[in-house]
Amino acid sequence: MSGSNGDRLIRVDMTNQTVSIDPYPEDWKLFGGRSLSARILLEECDPSCDPLGPDNVLVMAPGVVSGTAAPTSGRISIGGKSPLTGGIKEANAGGNPGQDLMKLGYRAVIVRGQPADPEKRYALDVTAEGASVKEVPDCKGMWNYALIDHLAKSYTPTASFISIGPAGEQRLTGASVACTDQEQDRHPARHAARGGLGAVMGAKGLKYVSVDAGKTGVRQAANRKEFTARCKTYTKDYLAGPQMFKTGTSSVVPVANMLNTFPHKNRTEGQSPDAATLDGARIVESFEERGGGMHNCMTGCIVKCSNVVHDRDGNYKTSALEFETLTLLGSNCGIASWEDVADLDRLCDDVGLDTVETGAAIAIYMDAGEMEFGDAEGAKRILKEIAEGTELGQAIGNGAVAIGKKTGHHRVPVVKGQALPAWDPRPLKATGITYCTSPMGADHTAGLIVNPGLPAEEWAKASQQVQLVNAAADSSGFCQFLQPTLNDIAGFYSELTGEAVAPEDVADLGWQCLQDEWEFNRRAGFTAADDTMPACIEQDPIGPQNLVWDVPADVVAKAYERFPNEAALFETKASG
Amino acid sequence: MPKVKIPPPYQGPTQGMERVEVVGTTVRECIEAVGARFPGFAEQVFDAGGAVHRFVKLFVNGDEIDRAAADTPVGEGDEVEILAAIAGG
Repeated sequence: MSGSNGDRLIRVDMTNQTVSIDPYPEDWKLFGGRSLSARILLEECDPSCDPLGPDNVLVMAPGVVSGTAAPTSGRISIGGKSPLTGGIKEANAGGNPGQDLMKLGYRAVIVRGQPADPEKRYALDVTAEGASVKEVPDCKGMWNYALIDHLAKSYTPTASFISIGPAGEQRLTGASVACTDQEQDRHPARHAARGGLGAVMGAKGLKYVSVDAGKTGVRQAANRKEFTARCKTYTKDYLAGPQMFKTGTSSVVPVANMLNTFPHKNRTEGQSPDAATLDGARIVESFEERGGGMHNCMTGCIVKCSNVVHDRDGNYKTSALEFETLTLLGSNCGIASWEDVADLDRLCDDVGLDTVETGAAIAIYMDAGEMEFGDAEGAKRILKEIAEGTELGQAIGNGAVAIGKKTGHHRVPVVKGQALPAWDPRPLKATGITYCTSPMGADHTAGLIVNPGLPAEEWAKASQQVQLVNAAADSSGFCQFLQPTLNDIAGFYSELTGEAVAPEDVADLGWQCLQDEWEFNRRAGFTAADDTMPACIEQDPIGPQNLVWDVPADVVAKAYERFPNEAALFETKASG
Repeated sequence: MPKVKIPPPYQGPTQGMERVEVVGTTVRECIEAVGARFPGFAEQVFDAGGAVHRFVKLFVNGDEIDRAAADTPVGEGDEVEILAAIAGG
């Protein structure tokens, strides 16, 4: 039984641990990743449900071009109702599970229900022959890295994994979903981190998903020859360009610091005195002596922005140590050493936590006077406490709002319950409008605009345009760091399907994705009152210009009314 | 006159202006000319010692030039472009 191009949907009911395979709807053929997750959730999930109850729906959906030979196209979206924001959530990750699912023709895994016994753990195995659920009591409580080491003994080397750590099992709302990278050791280092979707997976008793594509080749396009030619040309052009991310996102630190968007000490300052010791250049310098280096997290990636960080003895420690992590777990906590942040990053990946939410929560705890800023060892202890399930560990693991309530601290930088990422809305107003209006809450990957000089009349339009382009990119499977445009995506879609897909069509797909997500949130009870910055961002000034968030609500609201298509929209690069 | 194309992250001092026409005979002179008109701009490109920041890339008419070659000559109609990597991760 199969739908478009022989594709299928895997439906899993965790209440009775049953699986069915359905044909993929023909009219969804250009839905994928984020847009597919949004459509499934809008049609099949009650927006008023308990995010950690049986009625929430967990979606795992690769992008439209994932599994093909298109470069850097294997992102997988994890979706569901967020226990952190109470709204719709999509977080996507690299690694190989997205590629492998699509090679097998599975456009999405849709998980609903909940086991009667919350102490039981299950796994979903996906192969070319089908999918099945089994109980895995031996995996209960395992950290992500130990889990993958354990699974490597019983699965073939071609299998990839989607998993949760103890944070997800404890249903903590800062919990992430891990995907294994393409390395032989299959590190669980690629995380769909934001919004607590690891808790949703944990609430369904699902410890991991294995995807084994075996020797299945890449997906073939309808216009095979033209698609291959497009892949080659695109790759050649990219490699001939400046390759701005070839030393990783961590290299952004000095630029962000210069622009007053490298938050320090729970965002009370926009610059850090430790920018030099947190600069990704220090990580690159470590490669020569310790090993590690830059690599591709997924098969077929040409960007290779992911760093592999080794310890002083030359052993693997973590990957990738990103700008956001260096900011939220480093500068924002007053922690000065990139090596300490690397330890914290490894712990977050291992326990299964969003580094942004967790860093923000620890910074609030420090700001409340419960711990000194800069106490790296204390921060590491807290992360271990999260795995152990202590009261403090649970409060931190549940994110910024939870620790704010526990400590009674007033400075809690969140929008829709989700912690602000590094890019600060006080100097970057258009990005702030994204944080306010995105269905995702404060999330830079929803639409990042780093232009502190952008005229006020351009803010809402810039935010909307990048939100639309990012929604389209996150639906395609292309990584945002490849920086695809709507024109690029339309070209690949045309050759993939053998039908003319115009850039305007891709723009409409991106806009439809946003519409579906906003509609879900409306049904969940969100109103314009939720599109606001917290008081601390409105009141605490940063930088020499004493910048605060002062964008009027009517300007923010303009991002909801679609601006006319302009030529520039189609050349706007995805940015997150 | 040569033009300097300014990337979005650096448009704070130029208040959103993307291209600025300047008088200058080298890449450095062109960038310094933008800085003379828009205080705070040149510091985004050069450090206190006058070297180009490590995180900045420079191009002349689309061709990347070495960071140490800021004294590359430019003529009428040439475009100096500055790029800076921006991403979250």
